[in-house]
Amino acid sequence: MQIASGSGRILVVEDDRRMADALVAGLKEHGYETTLARTGEEAFFLVHSTHPDVVLLDLTLPQRGGLEILAQIRAQPMDVRILILTSHNSVEDRVAGLNAGADDYLGKPFSFPELLARIASLLRRTSVPAHSAPLQLADITVDAQARIVSRSGVQLELTTREYDLLLYLLEHRNNTVSREMLARDVWHETSRFTPIDNVIDVQMTRLRRKIDDPFPVKLLHTIRGVGFILREPEL
Amino acid sequence: MRLFRPANIRTRLAVWYVVILAAILTVYIGAVFVFQYVLLERQIFHDEIQDVETVEGLLYFDTGGVLRLQEGYHSHPQSHLLEDRLMEIRDVSGTVLYRSDTLKGMTLGGVSSPDEGANSYNERSTRLSDGTHVLLISHLHPVQGRLVLIRLGYSMAPLHEQMMHFFLLLLLATPIALVAAGFAGYSIAKRALRPLDLMAARAEQITASNLNDRVVVEHPHDELGHMARVLNHLLQRLEQAFAQLQRFTADAAHELRTPLASIRTTGETTLHDNRNEAAYREAISGMLEETIRLNQTIDGLLLLSKAETAQSDKSHSSFLLVELVDEILVLLEVLIEERHITVQQEQEQVSEPLFADRSLIRVALLNVLHNAIKFSPDQAILRILYSRHEQDGRVFQRVCVHDSGPGIPSGEHERVFERFFTGASPQSAAKSGAGLGLSIAKLIIDRNGGGIFFDETAAHGARCCMDLPLHADRHRQV
Repeated sequence: MQIASGSGRILVVEDDRRMADALVAGLKEHGYETTLARTGEEAFFLVHSTHPDVVLLDLTLPQRGGLEILAQIRAQPMDVRILILTSHNSVEDRVAGLNAGADDYLGKPFSFPELLARIASLLRRTSVPAHSAPLQLADITVDAQARIVSRSGVQLELTTREYDLLLYLLEHRNNTVSREMLARDVWHETSRFTPIDNVIDVQMTRLRRKIDDPFPVKLLHTIRGVGFILREPEL
Repeated sequence: MRLFRPANIRTRLAVWYVVILAAILTVYIGAVFVFQYVLLERQIFHDEIQDVETVEGLLYFDTGGVLRLQEGYHSHPQSHLLEDRLMEIRDVSGTVLYRSDTLKGMTLGGVSSPDEGANSYNERSTRLSDGTHVLLISHLHPVQGRLVLIRLGYSMAPLHEQMMHFFLLLLLATPIALVAAGFAGYSIAKRALRPLDLMAARAEQITASNLNDRVVVEHPHDELGHMARVLNHLLQRLEQAFAQLQRFTADAAHELRTPLASIRTTGETTLHDNRNEAAYREAISGMLEETIRLNQTIDGLLLLSKAETAQSDKSHSSFLLVELVDEILVLLEVLIEERHITVQQEQEQVSEPLFADRSLIRVALLNVLHNAIKFSPDQAILRILYSRHEQDGRVFQRVCVHDSGPGIPSGEHERVFERFFTGASPQSAAKSGAGLGLSIAKLIIDRNGGGIFFDETAAHGARCCMDLPLHADRHRQV
């Protein structure tokens, strides 16, 4: 599996050993310089010594709560993005977290691709925005102005939803997108208990039928249990 | 100022009873006393007038010009000793012509006033020089051609003495009556409240383990009986809710365990064998899929608890049901197209909006429509029927979703709404998912004052009908 590499320093504040190890391993694999803090004190110390770009902050920490750390970091003139990762996942918790100065909020259990996408988005906010990459991948080109998609010079007839879906996959090219991300960002479903996984799967099948089936090289792949990825063919 | 506040109701009732009785008795005694006094005083005046009339007939001037009273009318000579009448007679110039022995030389009523006794009896009370209180009348009367002023009075002392006796009698009787009334009130209150003690004793013993116990209803129709019945109803509802909660917890544990077991087994067997990378990949993917299922079940449970507590009108808005259904159909369009299902909407014009939590109603409708599509065979027809429906004076908009799937076996029309219910046939069980969709839909619609049911008369397929209260209806209700 091809891995899109990011760059940046990330501090993971998480007391659950297994979760922390998995996060650190996953982030390192994706090219991030990652350090781990298991307690609030350690986190506070590491924020000052390593100057991370992004802090992944668990709210339920031993000794000092995550919100307290958050308030302390925010009380100082530091340019750091903070993403809360927690299983306290109600709207009130979200609002409390964002009010306390967090930049983003992700409820556990989250999908790792989604975490990567959020981190990338937070890092984009800090650095100079890269000029929008040409909407092209392998032999697929998208004319965003005219909303025309073609592959190998053949124009493809896509419905609005299919077009939006393809555009989203192109924006996250070489990265897996989960069904949760698609439900939220393409279908704009806010309720978490809406049975639209079925809809997403069928829609994906139809998109694949149009952009992949007539061509020998396949670009759109399903990663079972994780989501979907649109990626460059491996040479 | 808090003088005395007894802790138990029966003492409080008895004390109130006694205090109120004492107040009433005081007022009553005062009124009776005053009334009696006034009555007796008037009687005395009346007697005096009678006496004056009598005396007038008995007066005469003797040959020496001295005014005298005929004594001959006493049948017994000693009778005049009983007389306690006071009398003084003057001539017009004020000279005293006659004074009764009972006055013992004192004057009666002082200097005469100009018109005294001419037009009325001048009823008045006065005091003698020895301090005796006297009720007095005056009358002008000619005796043998000479005009004389007759003053006649009675001492008030006997009346006062009698009234004092009367008063003392009342004063003595009142506390006795109050004490008796207090005891009676206390024992009546105690007897009346005894069922309360029994109820409290029984209720104290009821805990989670014996919620099926009930308090005793002694007299079903009085207030305490009513109270007992209300308590019993409360216990019954508690028992039901508790049983439901227990069942739900057990079911939830079961539902959460099933994917966990699958994850565990997959992990164990895969790790045990030395497999190739593809097999590991396959196993991990399967495990991830199970975690997604697990997460969806938890989300469903959270949504249930949210719908259970969501009561406030804050999240309510008014919207058209038809528009919401169309929105959901657009979302599900890709499934409908893929399965070549034809959607037919039949609609009676209902232009009033609903008033409800739109996002929750949307979840409910989405679940029902998604179910209908899931169970429809390919190339089937899905009918959506709208109608107005009135029940108990309330107006509902009814929407029925009629699929042409296998339908619901008889006897399961209610059970499909139970949490974690999945159909008995393996085919429907496979499609049912977590088995929370319909119970979520039912909870949401119930909480919004509507109703949801599967029409048992549907000839083929399943027909799910939802009644949702109309906005206009709501205002009429409020």
